[in-house]
Amino acid sequence: MKTLPHVQAAIATAIAAAFVCHSANAAVLPESQSQSSWYTAGAEAVAAKVATARNSGTAKNVILFVGDGMGVSTLTAARIFQGQAAGNTGEENRLSFENFPYSALSKTYSVNQQTPDSAPTMTAMVTGVKTEDGMLSVSADAIRGNCLSSQGHELKTALEYAEEAGKSTGIISTARLTHATPAATYAHTPERNWEADSDMPAEALANGCHDIAYQMVMEAPGDGLEVALGGGRGYFLPNTVVDGEGRNGRRADGKDLTSAWTTNYSNAAYVWNKAEFDAVDTASVDHLLGLFESSHMQYEADRADDVGGEPSLAEMTNKAIDLLAKNDKGYFLMVEAGRIDHAHHAGNAARALQDTVALSDAVQAAMDKVDMSNTLIIVTADHSHTFTIAGYPARGNPILGLVHAPDDEQIDTNPTLAADGLPYTTLGYTNGPGAKTGAREDLSAIDTTEVNFLQQAQVPLSSETHAAEDVAIYAAGPGAYLFQGSVEQNVIFHVINQAAALGATKY
Amino acid sequence: MPRNLFLVGALALWCGHASAADFCPTVADSQNFGLQYQLQGAQQGNLQLLRSHAQTAYYNPDNGVGEWWDFKQASHPNFYRVFSQQQRRIDYYTGDLRTLNIHVSQTEIESFAANNLRQQLTLVGDGACADSQRYQGDYQGVHYELLWSNSLQLPLSLSTRRNDRTQQWQATAVLSGEQVTQQLQQWQQFTDTDYADIGDNETDPFLAQMINQGFVEHSEHAVYNSQGQPLQGAHQH
Repeated sequence: MKTLPHVQAAIATAIAAAFVCHSANAAVLPESQSQSSWYTAGAEAVAAKVATARNSGTAKNVILFVGDGMGVSTLTAARIFQGQAAGNTGEENRLSFENFPYSALSKTYSVNQQTPDSAPTMTAMVTGVKTEDGMLSVSADAIRGNCLSSQGHELKTALEYAEEAGKSTGIISTARLTHATPAATYAHTPERNWEADSDMPAEALANGCHDIAYQMVMEAPGDGLEVALGGGRGYFLPNTVVDGEGRNGRRADGKDLTSAWTTNYSNAAYVWNKAEFDAVDTASVDHLLGLFESSHMQYEADRADDVGGEPSLAEMTNKAIDLLAKNDKGYFLMVEAGRIDHAHHAGNAARALQDTVALSDAVQAAMDKVDMSNTLIIVTADHSHTFTIAGYPARGNPILGLVHAPDDEQIDTNPTLAADGLPYTTLGYTNGPGAKTGAREDLSAIDTTEVNFLQQAQVPLSSETHAAEDVAIYAAGPGAYLFQGSVEQNVIFHVINQAAALGATKY
Repeated sequence: MPRNLFLVGALALWCGHASAADFCPTVADSQNFGLQYQLQGAQQGNLQLLRSHAQTAYYNPDNGVGEWWDFKQASHPNFYRVFSQQQRRIDYYTGDLRTLNIHVSQTEIESFAANNLRQQLTLVGDGACADSQRYQGDYQGVHYELLWSNSLQLPLSLSTRRNDRTQQWQATAVLSGEQVTQQLQQWQQFTDTDYADIGDNETDPFLAQMINQGFVEHSEHAVYNSQGQPLQGAHQH
């Protein structure tokens, strides 16, 4: 394989600088090295870094993209998946945000768990404080599931600071808008599962805690969210209501929060399907609520088959930016690809990778629309999964396929066999539903690239688990340079605060 | 797919027509009723089929586990598993069913997975019950005897024999429409969790048991096979 690595267009401006270094070294290097496309591309990449001007200005806008469960192995596999879908070998491909100039590793452990869930990790990212698993934007002084203990321990979020600063705010998720990641931006609760009032125990109701959906609509900070697009419709509707896709609402208090949204705000709109979403005129709508599923939105792989129709993550991002950008003071937008996590829990790599590519597309949509000189874009994950890329497959071997070793410059037509005499896939999980008790299944006649295929796993669990290794942070725009090295996950908030001058503290 | 019916090789017993003819159900509303089945032979147990218009559920009263389908949106059925003892419910959405490779036929679910089978068998005459017919035949090494209710589109008796192993499902009682409605309403009130959310709730003892001991996935634990079609006798654990 002698494919030239991908070279960014922007690098062209820095070639002259690279040539100086290159020429100096070339005198002592063999031609096979100095003239290697790998060598020259690498030198050009360094030159581009040297030429990159640090943007230490203030970020008018902040967009925080979160891939739920999008560990580094997911990024690698997704870039290959996307590249191969485009007809290339894949490894040289780059997801949109992998071209960002700055990155860091994020340590994801929570106050009480080595391997965290999405609640404390998102809390860390949007409040600057780590907390315990299951709790959203309340400190570890609270006890999970106990309302009274949480009162007085609420943590102020970046979204709330942005509202105070007069900015517009928005949240987007392919999961429920009441799910842990989006909820941590606007809600304060000691139990992530209190998404509707019917989910809450008597203690919580008696002590005045409110469910997450209620907080989003009725107790929103500032002048309220300008954009809220995602799933979770049932949590906003009374249990006496059947929605447009045949699902019951689940609120016991009789409140229709979709109706409250349009009542509470001027120039407000509520939409629940793709046609209504497409018809929204962002010039005339100032508060947009879109709830496209009773629970989570569809996986990207299944989206086209939805009953009511759903917009893509990129389409939601586009629409949100159009609406939020009307505010001269700027905006804070959180965008979550929430179902990468669910596909991994199911042991289903194909859906996880497709949703990761959808996130990459959404980031690209944002980059195409915003002014990167005044917009800080951060792309990261809350935690990882036990997802692995293993074996010694040849370059260009289908990422969802069986391992086939290189054969000179071709790919061996026979799969590589393991010690049990059976072939194995490149992608796998340490645990999950793909594990078998006893002998492994023979995959010789199985199409492992089929979207519903469950990768094999080692430890049998009905649901594959999160993993504890660091996740990546990619950043571009004002203040992005502050992401370097290995950082605690709660540093993300502090970078946002510093870059956007949110006023949480002075540096 | 008729092959799914034959995954349960343990079922096969022909107990004769006399017992089948003993019970002739009378149903006031063929869109809202239930039938209680008793499993006899090598395996024993009970299973209730509950029908309420587009909704069909199979409930094992012995272990309190049920599987509930709603075909109001026929191409996108809603599916729930209920656990009466814990008063919990797991909701499966379209993507979940696809990742589990569950592709169901509404007709098969509503017919005790016997409609397709019936078409593989030979009509041998009328049954003892009004509007019933007897079918029999061999398919993939299993001998079947079926007493079929045309009005209910359900078996009143289904017997199988493979080698020396015999088994029979026998309808033994009718559940009223009111009983069915109450049961479904009760399940609607159970604490529910999306299948996709199970992995994020490892601190919930009920869900942790599912994660660690694996009884949430579609398997022989349920009254369905891996294709989401009901298994005769597969409710044994």
